[in-house]
Amino acid sequence: MTTKFAALSTTRRRFLKGTGAALAASATGGLCLPALAQAQEISIISNLSNVQQREILQRLATEFEAKSGAKIVINNMDHEAHKTAIRSYLVVGAPDICFWFSGNRMKAFVAKGLFDDISDLFARENYKDVLGATTSAVTVGDKQYGLPMGGLLWGLFYRKDVFAANNWTPPKTWNEFMAFGEAAKSANLIPISMGTKELWPAGGWFDHMNLRINGLDKHIALMDGKVQYTDPMLTPVFDKWNDLLKAGFFSPNHSSFGWEQAGAALAQKKAAMMDLGGFVRSAFPEADLPQLAYAPFPEIVPGVARYEDFSVNSVHVPANAKNKQGARDFLAYFYKPENLGAFLAAEGAIPPRNDCPPSHDPLVNAAVEELKKVVATSQYYDRDTDPDMAQEGMTGLQEFMVKPERRDQILGRLEKTRKRIFG
Amino acid sequence: MSRLWRRNRHWLTPALFLLPGLVLFGTVILAASIETVWISLHDWDGIGAKTWVGLANYIELADDPQFYVSLKNNVIWLLIFMLAPPIGLALALIVNQQIRGMRILKSLFFVPLVLATVTVGVVFGWVYDPNFGLLQLFFSSFGGTAPALLSDENFVTFAVAAAGLWPQIAFCMILFLAGLNGLNDDLIAAGRVDGARGWRMLRHVVLPQLSQVGFIAIAVTVIGALRSFDMIAVMTSGGPYGSSTVLAYQMYQESIFSYRFGYGAAIATVLFVIMIAFIAWYLNGLIKAERSNA
Repeated sequence: MTTKFAALSTTRRRFLKGTGAALAASATGGLCLPALAQAQEISIISNLSNVQQREILQRLATEFEAKSGAKIVINNMDHEAHKTAIRSYLVVGAPDICFWFSGNRMKAFVAKGLFDDISDLFARENYKDVLGATTSAVTVGDKQYGLPMGGLLWGLFYRKDVFAANNWTPPKTWNEFMAFGEAAKSANLIPISMGTKELWPAGGWFDHMNLRINGLDKHIALMDGKVQYTDPMLTPVFDKWNDLLKAGFFSPNHSSFGWEQAGAALAQKKAAMMDLGGFVRSAFPEADLPQLAYAPFPEIVPGVARYEDFSVNSVHVPANAKNKQGARDFLAYFYKPENLGAFLAAEGAIPPRNDCPPSHDPLVNAAVEELKKVVATSQYYDRDTDPDMAQEGMTGLQEFMVKPERRDQILGRLEKTRKRIFG
Repeated sequence: MSRLWRRNRHWLTPALFLLPGLVLFGTVILAASIETVWISLHDWDGIGAKTWVGLANYIELADDPQFYVSLKNNVIWLLIFMLAPPIGLALALIVNQQIRGMRILKSLFFVPLVLATVTVGVVFGWVYDPNFGLLQLFFSSFGGTAPALLSDENFVTFAVAAAGLWPQIAFCMILFLAGLNGLNDDLIAAGRVDGARGWRMLRHVVLPQLSQVGFIAIAVTVIGALRSFDMIAVMTSGGPYGSSTVLAYQMYQESIFSYRFGYGAAIATVLFVIMIAFIAWYLNGLIKAERSNA
């Protein structure tokens, strides 16, 4: 379209004519923009909230650009907003690489054909040899659809100095746990710091109790919707949980705040323990970090093998990506042991590769050691079950924590939801 | 071209002027609304294929306790927001006085309107915080403990709506201030001659002239109360356990978190029907007022 300068001295009538013409043009063919040169561009959408990790990703991208001549564009999104945005961008306007969560959450997109099969990359780089069992977190029907990233081992965190000052040791059995709670209360500490505003901490607590009482197979059956929420197997779980609630184990008004504030209470010595992953470290000032320690969730039913929540994040190539080859090349570089190791060290996550350099973080090393004692793992309530079920379920569990007397009513509602979703 | 233009300009000119607005309204409002109703008749996760389910979503909605919680909360919002026009009017009358320093006061009352709703929500969230909030500080200075408003299923909606009320009052105040500036001086002078002052002046001379502004203030407040969403998202995310959701928030939650776009669309349609009733009343009032002025 050529622009006439005569239009500058326009009259209203001319303006209208021009507008009409412009509208007509845009309606017919005016929208054809010149296609941008896309010789070698790799676009990444990241959901990283950790500043250090973003910097490392940026550094690796710059290094890769220098090496390969490709151009890498990184778009950072807010972690929570990304969870909803991914469903539209995977369909329309997919990047070449995106961050997500392995397991069921990944499978939902694999089932819809939105993630690319990257088994070829696994074969090319021999990832199965270094990943071992973690490969299963990104495998659907013998094909790999993503690269596993850092793992989070969930458990009870505490401050060594607080425990030493009170002569406590982490409780190993249920009786010890109940006694510990009483001791903590008499020392004017909240036994278990928890903030359920974002709901999921209640789901995690349920996971741990159910894994200790019913074991992994029954827990996964429940997550897969094969067991009713009104099943008698859950009775001891809620009975024991009710005991904790009656004894005042958890932070008062926990539905008012999120895990950050609950983590701060642990750091400020107002609470004795907290159920979280290694990222609890971000609630601690740098100087207090050496005091932070991990203890596994106590045994409840003797003889049940040790199962834990171990959630693994992941990175994927969307099926609608434009530059799938470039994405694979960058991922191969990003996934080199030294690069991946540096990236994961920043968030205190456990590297999935067994050839990453040993971490300097004692918490990570402790978690790696603990993981060796774990028989098998689930991921987390909202990663293991259907998202719709997870939303209802975690809401119900939060309600149970505030109003335990409504247990039957809540479980009845959850069962209704389970039936609707899983049939 | 120019002959064609001359012959048709009597209708082409208004049509061209209206076109951008109509296109925008048609796609963003009309088409989107119709599509929402269409989606509400399906089972859809937002990505995959839609399955026709007829009225099943509405039948389920009628049996959903959460829906009634949302509906009840919408009514609470509406009732609390109805305080905004009278308080706004009172403030407008006060700050409209010719007193030194009143301008500063006026701009202070105006502040919440400048703040983004999200900001207001975050600030009130802190005020209500049971551990370090202003409310807690206030109570503890008397040796008491503040109730954790955002954790209590009975108080939470009142607490959130009260936060939403703050900017709404400022908005009504601005409307009434504009109305007060447009008062007919002749009428006031005439009233003064007849010995009206104080309350009688307000009641019989000033308020009748503000009736149109008052009508707009009420209508805008009703709509503001019904579409409340951002404040809830920021302050409680609908919690504790869904006891502070309203229809708009439940719709968002069902569609975005539970991946049930069909069900979410059904809630949106119900909200739309409620809103349409108010909007029809509003338009009816506007048209009547226009006719009586003409």
